[in-house]
Amino acid sequence: MDIRKRRYALVIDSRKCINCKACVVACKAENGVPIGNFRNWITADRQGEYPKLRIDFEPEQCHHCEHPSCVRVCPTGASWQRKDGVVLVYADDCIGCRYCMVACPYDARYFHEESGTVHKCTLCSHRVDKGEVPACVETCPSKVRVFGDLEDPSSRLHELLATRRHHVKEPQTGNGPQLYYLL
Amino acid sequence: MHELNWGLLIVVYLFLGGLSAGLFFAAGLANYLEVDGQPAYPRIARMGALLAPWPVALGSALLILDLGNWYRFYKLFTHFRWESPMSIGSWLLTLFTVIAFVYAFAWLPEEWRRSLFAKVPATWKQVHRLNVDLAPHRKTLAMIGFPFSIGVGIYTGVLLGAVSARPFWNTNLVAQMFLFSALSSGAAALLLAMVLDKRNPIETHETKFLITLDIVFISLELFIILPYLIHGQLSVLAVKQALWLILGGPYTVVFWVFFLGLGLLTPLAIEVYELAPSLLKDRVFHGNRSLALAASSLVLVGGFLLRYIFVYAGQLSSFHKLGMLR
Ligand code: SF4
Ligand code: SF4
Repeated sequence: MDIRKRRYALVIDSRKCINCKACVVACKAENGVPIGNFRNWITADRQGEYPKLRIDFEPEQCHHCEHPSCVRVCPTGASWQRKDGVVLVYADDCIGCRYCMVACPYDARYFHEESGTVHKCTLCSHRVDKGEVPACVETCPSKVRVFGDLEDPSSRLHELLATRRHHVKEPQTGNGPQLYYLL
Repeated sequence: MHELNWGLLIVVYLFLGGLSAGLFFAAGLANYLEVDGQPAYPRIARMGALLAPWPVALGSALLILDLGNWYRFYKLFTHFRWESPMSIGSWLLTLFTVIAFVYAFAWLPEEWRRSLFAKVPATWKQVHRLNVDLAPHRKTLAMIGFPFSIGVGIYTGVLLGAVSARPFWNTNLVAQMFLFSALSSGAAALLLAMVLDKRNPIETHETKFLITLDIVFISLELFIILPYLIHGQLSVLAVKQALWLILGGPYTVVFWVFFLGLGLLTPLAIEVYELAPSLLKDRVFHGNRSLALAASSLVLVGGFLLRYIFVYAGQLSSFHKLGMLR
């Protein structure tokens, strides 16, 4: 077995995003997300008036933070972080107190009514562990999303972060978000 | 995806937890005060001791029922996580509730205790062993309970204050604000209960004690709220934006008119109006019953509204550029 250290992350080239929402649909289908809930979504920031109009689309989801505040506040340890950085909820230990939802600065979690527990983006860990990429990444027609391992210098993700200017959202939360948006 | 995850039940729970803490504190304090070697306020001490455990017990039950999976609540105690305020708080709250019940038991009148145990079948020997008079240990029990009552009062604030994602909460003043509000609610609830108890009419020295106590707590609370507002205004953008929720935003009226005006300043004015002449001009303290009733009820309303505003407005505050009110 490969015991090399891993740190999964996403690079997002939001200027290429055309707001087709294919990633949103793919995620819902892949993970059985209930109607009305989302694990990822697109924000539209509109500036100016027609004809001098600009709209910026930005995909959003859980940032799989380096120091996740959701994990820190969870009273049972149901919210946890894998060694490769993926933040998950172990459903059997979740009592449904929703403290993690309140504590997530990116509002990335939702309450799953049927099970009474909290759900969130898993970075499709069930696919990633098989060597595939997350469903949203695979689906995106304009190749906005790049999935990869920060510890792997040969990855496309690594190359993009080394050569392109990028930023993370609201770094002042102190969470160390791991979604890198290209400028 | 911005929405309110915590609702009215959390507000009620935080209020009732604080109320119990305040009742216990005031009752324990009354138990310690003496005049000429005689207990000065034995009736206050008893009333407070008998009332203290109930609100927190009810609040905890409500909170457990509010969980997505209420029957898993035991996991709060089997998985200890010291980094999570809720994990520490669950222990604190449980221990405090137990102490408050034991303390109430120590204050049960002799005949109540006897009739209580008379209902237990005589064959339950172990239970009958508990039929002991704890009255001599009241002071020790109160002393053990003090830190826990203060802890619970602080915890209700820390639960919110420790959430770094919500700038409205994440200041070092929320814990004290909730503590003093809790202590004030406790004193007010005691005053209300004593005034409403028609069989043993409240005496003026008792009214005076509770009003004095409440004035102290309300003043302390006020001196936390003012810096909270001023400091927030002078703070970073996220905090300033969060404060907008009560300075022009949706919670402005309920904060300024109903909480600060009706729930804090009005009862403070009534209490000062009652107490000041006897302190400053050496007049007799009358202890008007209706005024005491009005002031204590308003303090309780104010205490509830403080939790309401914080729980709701706090969840709307965010670091997100578009997050607020989205
Ligand atoms: S974005 Fe929110 S849910 Fe995701 S790891 Fe960070 S704090 Fe947790
Ligand atoms: S809702 Fe579940 S995962 Fe979230 S803090 Fe509570 S127990 Fe932890």
